[in-house]
Amino acid sequence: MSDPAEAPTADEIEKIAGVARVPVTNGVAQRIAASIGPAFVGFAPMSGTLPFDLEPANFVSVQNKTAK
Amino acid sequence: MTATEPALLSVTEVAAAIASKKISSREATQSCLDRVARFQPRLNAYMAIEADAALAAADAADKELAQGKTRGPLHGVPMAHKDMYYEAGKVSTCGSKIRKDFVAATTSTAIARLQNAGTVRLGTLQMSEFAYGPTGHNAHYGAVHNPWHVDHVTGGSSSGSGSAVAARLTFAALGSDTGGSIRMPAHFCGVSGLKTTVGLVSRAGAMPLSQSLDTVGPLARTAVDCALLTQLMAGGDAADPTTRNAPAPDLVSPTKENIKGLRIGIPSAFYVDHLDSDVARVLDETAKTLASEGVTVVRVTLPDQSRLTAASQLLLAVEAAAFHKKWMIERPGDYGPQVLMRLQNGLAVPAITYLETLRWRGPALAAHLEAVSGVDAVLAPVAPVPAPTIADSDIGNKTGAEAVIQNLTRFTRPINYLGLPALAIPAGFSARGLPIGLQLIGRPFEEAMVLRIGAAFQRATDFHTRAPRLS
Repeated sequence: MSDPAEAPTADEIEKIAGVARVPVTNGVAQRIAASIGPAFVGFAPMSGTLPFDLEPANFVSVQNKTAK
Repeated sequence: MTATEPALLSVTEVAAAIASKKISSREATQSCLDRVARFQPRLNAYMAIEADAALAAADAADKELAQGKTRGPLHGVPMAHKDMYYEAGKVSTCGSKIRKDFVAATTSTAIARLQNAGTVRLGTLQMSEFAYGPTGHNAHYGAVHNPWHVDHVTGGSSSGSGSAVAARLTFAALGSDTGGSIRMPAHFCGVSGLKTTVGLVSRAGAMPLSQSLDTVGPLARTAVDCALLTQLMAGGDAADPTTRNAPAPDLVSPTKENIKGLRIGIPSAFYVDHLDSDVARVLDETAKTLASEGVTVVRVTLPDQSRLTAASQLLLAVEAAAFHKKWMIERPGDYGPQVLMRLQNGLAVPAITYLETLRWRGPALAAHLEAVSGVDAVLAPVAPVPAPTIADSDIGNKTGAEAVIQNLTRFTRPINYLGLPALAIPAGFSARGLPIGLQLIGRPFEEAMVLRIGAAFQRATDFHTRAPRLS
């Protein structure tokens, strides 16, 4: 997954799942890659672009700033 | 169905009728139970029916009223809720095999507040397993059926809530909305449903799916009913510190106001792309109705919604997988195949990607609010199509299943990511007679505005009063 637009491959997912202690077969990993892959591609334009100093709780701040 | 059946009244109407002793709580409760007995075999909307306990509670409510005591605005009103709201000592299956015998130790804040307002428990309602499915299928308890056409889906995950409210088997029901789970059943079943702002209603004692996206809200016949129920549940809660620490807003009074002079925006893209022709027609007709009520309808250009959908999907996948990790390891065979498949998706998302989706929420919300600064609310379809058939949408864990799910929920997920309130209202019917709902999307904590518009629309139309013909 060297390019942020790339979704993780089945081989990568198999390894990540193993590290998370929820092992999956390569066949399941291939299904996961096909299923979640488009979300990685969709989010890619934002990935790696966020400001360094962005407040972690910024969402709540924006919510409350606009709420009457 | 006869005009004298109390079960046909709205929440507001039946509460007033009981309070004024025009009908008793027992009569209202018995009316619902009679319909449940007749239609449950065809709809599968209830998970548990507690007739004897409900009638005993109704009798107690009537006795209190005779003594001049009233618990609150919903005194003696019978209701059933999605089977994921815990009530101490009662089973909450969460639509699952894993929790089929789970007895809650505490009562959810939302249920407790409705009980304090006087409601009577009828039982519990069906749902998608662990609230993780948009169609209404359930591998363990069977699909819930749409009362307008029983071979069509109800939408999910609040499938029983949508079916039961539409069929008049309960006056209203709680649902939950993480990716569209209140709005989808409201749309498919022809009822009103309010997805609340993240932080308005406490989630304490409600089964979690995604701590960032989960919201509590009602499905009911009318926008006014949704306003009343939400007003009773809203407000700070020490048991859920993520709830905004503010008093419950007055949501009912604004529903009485007219909407002359308001501005409503219809998105110029995404929400109007690739619509079923009936959905497109209903959107046009609704815009005209609102204009006739004095609203100025304009086009709005929103930021790229597909990015919001993608972020929402990644965020939900990780948080759901984290909640379910223990059972994914120990009891994978006890999940339905589609739910296990979706939970496994979360395993593919690196921590840094997950955190990026959380960090982007604030800037994304700010950009959205800037884009809609010239309008009071946004009007959009809930889904691009009316309810598909149960057979056509029985996707299990087949290849491409996630794509089907994503298409059904593509108009709801961005709103969950932004945490905004959205009211789904019945707005028309397809050529086949299936309901079509639209969503009114507001600003954070401005439920009052979308409820005001929804109530005015319902005063001008009768879609919300139409009931399915069940014989």
